[in-house]
Amino acid sequence: MKVVIVDYGLGNLWSVRNAFEFMGAEVTVSSDPEMVSRSQCIVLPGVGNFGSGMRNLRTRGLVDALNEAVLDNGARLLGICLGMQLLVDDSEEAPGVQGLGWIPGKVTRFCEVTTRLPHMGFNSVVTTQRKKNCFPSIQDETPDFYFVHSYCVQPRYERHVLARSTYGSEFVSAIGKDLVFGVQFHPEKSQSSGLRLIGDFLKSVARENHG
Amino acid sequence: MVKPRMCFTLLYADDNFHLSRNFSLQEVGDLDWLMTNYEFESIVRSVDELLILNVGKGELDWSRFLKTVREVVKHCFMPVAVGGGIRNADQARLLFENGADKLVLNSAFFTESDLVTGLAKLYGEQSIVASIDFRRNNSGVAEVFIDGGSLNTGLPLAAGVSGAARRGAGEIYLTSIDRDGTGIGYDLAALEIAFKSCDLPIIAAGGADTTDRLAEGIRSGFVSAVSTAHLFNFMCDGLRDSREELIKDGITLSKWSFGDLKSC
Repeated sequence: MKVVIVDYGLGNLWSVRNAFEFMGAEVTVSSDPEMVSRSQCIVLPGVGNFGSGMRNLRTRGLVDALNEAVLDNGARLLGICLGMQLLVDDSEEAPGVQGLGWIPGKVTRFCEVTTRLPHMGFNSVVTTQRKKNCFPSIQDETPDFYFVHSYCVQPRYERHVLARSTYGSEFVSAIGKDLVFGVQFHPEKSQSSGLRLIGDFLKSVARENHG
Repeated sequence: MVKPRMCFTLLYADDNFHLSRNFSLQEVGDLDWLMTNYEFESIVRSVDELLILNVGKGELDWSRFLKTVREVVKHCFMPVAVGGGIRNADQARLLFENGADKLVLNSAFFTESDLVTGLAKLYGEQSIVASIDFRRNNSGVAEVFIDGGSLNTGLPLAAGVSGAARRGAGEIYLTSIDRDGTGIGYDLAALEIAFKSCDLPIIAAGGADTTDRLAEGIRSGFVSAVSTAHLFNFMCDGLRDSREELIKDGITLSKWSFGDLKSC
C-alpha cells in the first residue's frame, strides 16, 4: 500500500513514517504538490499551531494539491493531531485563518480553569458509531491512545463524530466524513493500539481500491 | 482521564548504556547487546514512554549519540524524550530530527535559561522536560544539583522546580541522587514538594528497582509518571510483568497488547 505523508514543516514525521512502514505501507514523505495531488492515500500529520499549519500548507502549494486529491480524485486521508484540526473550518488558535474545511466544524481550546493543559498522555477512546466504522480496532473496545494537545475539534454535525474521549469534559477524538478521517491522538505513539488503527486505515484503502 | 505512566530511562554514555548508583555509572552494553541480551523490544513495548539521557561526563560525540537515538527510536511506538548535554538550539533541532518527541534539559534550566525559554517557545512547552537532580543536605533539605550531580546550586528543591516551570518546562523529571540505583524507593517527601511547587506533570526517578516501588510512586498521588533505569531488574519480560502486576493491583495504567498484531 502506497502512502504519502505530507511534509509541511511541522511535527515529527519520523515516527509517523516508522509506524506506517511497520504496518507494511510503502511510505513517501513529500512536500511536492504534484506528488500529493496524485496520491490515493494521504497522511496529514502535524504538531503545532493551526495558523502556521495552514500557512505552511499554502506557501508550499499544498492546499490546492490536497483539495485536488481529496475532492477530485477521491483520495483517502488521515489527519493526525493538528492534521485533524486542519480538516475543519477554523480555529480559536488562529482567528481569521481558514482551515481545509472538508468537515464542517471548528477548533476550540480546552477549558483551562478545570484542566491542566496540554492534555498529554494515554487516554481512552470510545467509538460513537457502531456501524461502518473505518476503524474496527476501536469499535468493540475502548483502547488507550497517546494525546498531546490543548485544542480540540467540534464538528458541526454529530454524524461526523467517530469517537470521543474525556479530559475534564468530553471532547471529540476522531472524526470522519466520506473518505477523510481525523484523529486527535497520535496512533504512531500509541503502542499496538495505534498500530492496529493504522492497519485499519491501510486495509480500508486497500478495500476501496479493490472494490 | 489521563492514565499514570510507567517509563523507562536509558542512561547513555560513551556509546554504551549504563546502570547508575548515586550517579556513579557502570557500563552494561551497547544497543546491539541490549537487543540480544535484554530483549530490548519487550522493554519498549511495555512502557508508556522512554527517556534516553546522555549522562557521560566527557565531550559528547553527537553524531554517534544521534545514530543511537535513531536506532532506538526505530523500535519505539510511543513517545521518546531525549536529552543530556543540550547546549544550543542546533543540538535540540537535531534531536527532534532524529526521532525525539521531547527534549530533556537539566543544567541549562539553571545556567542558560534563555536557551530553554527559546526552545519552549519554538517547540511548545509540552515538548520540554526539565530534569532536576537533588540531594538532601545534612539538615535533610533537598537541594538542586546540576552538571550530572556534581555541582550544588544551593537552590532548595521547591525553588528549583517552580523556576523550571517559569522558564518553560512542560514536565518535571525528578531524580533523587541519594536514592539513585539503591532500590530504597522514591523520595516521596521530595515528590510532594515538587508537586506543590508547580502545576506540571511530575515523573519520579531514582530509587525504584521493583514493581512495588513503582506502585508506591504512583500511589503517592504526587506524580503523573514513574520511571526506572534499572536494566538488570527489568530486563527481558521484567517490565511487561511489572506492568501486568500493577494493573492487576488496581493501578489504571493504559492497556495494549501486541499479541497477534499483523502488518498489512
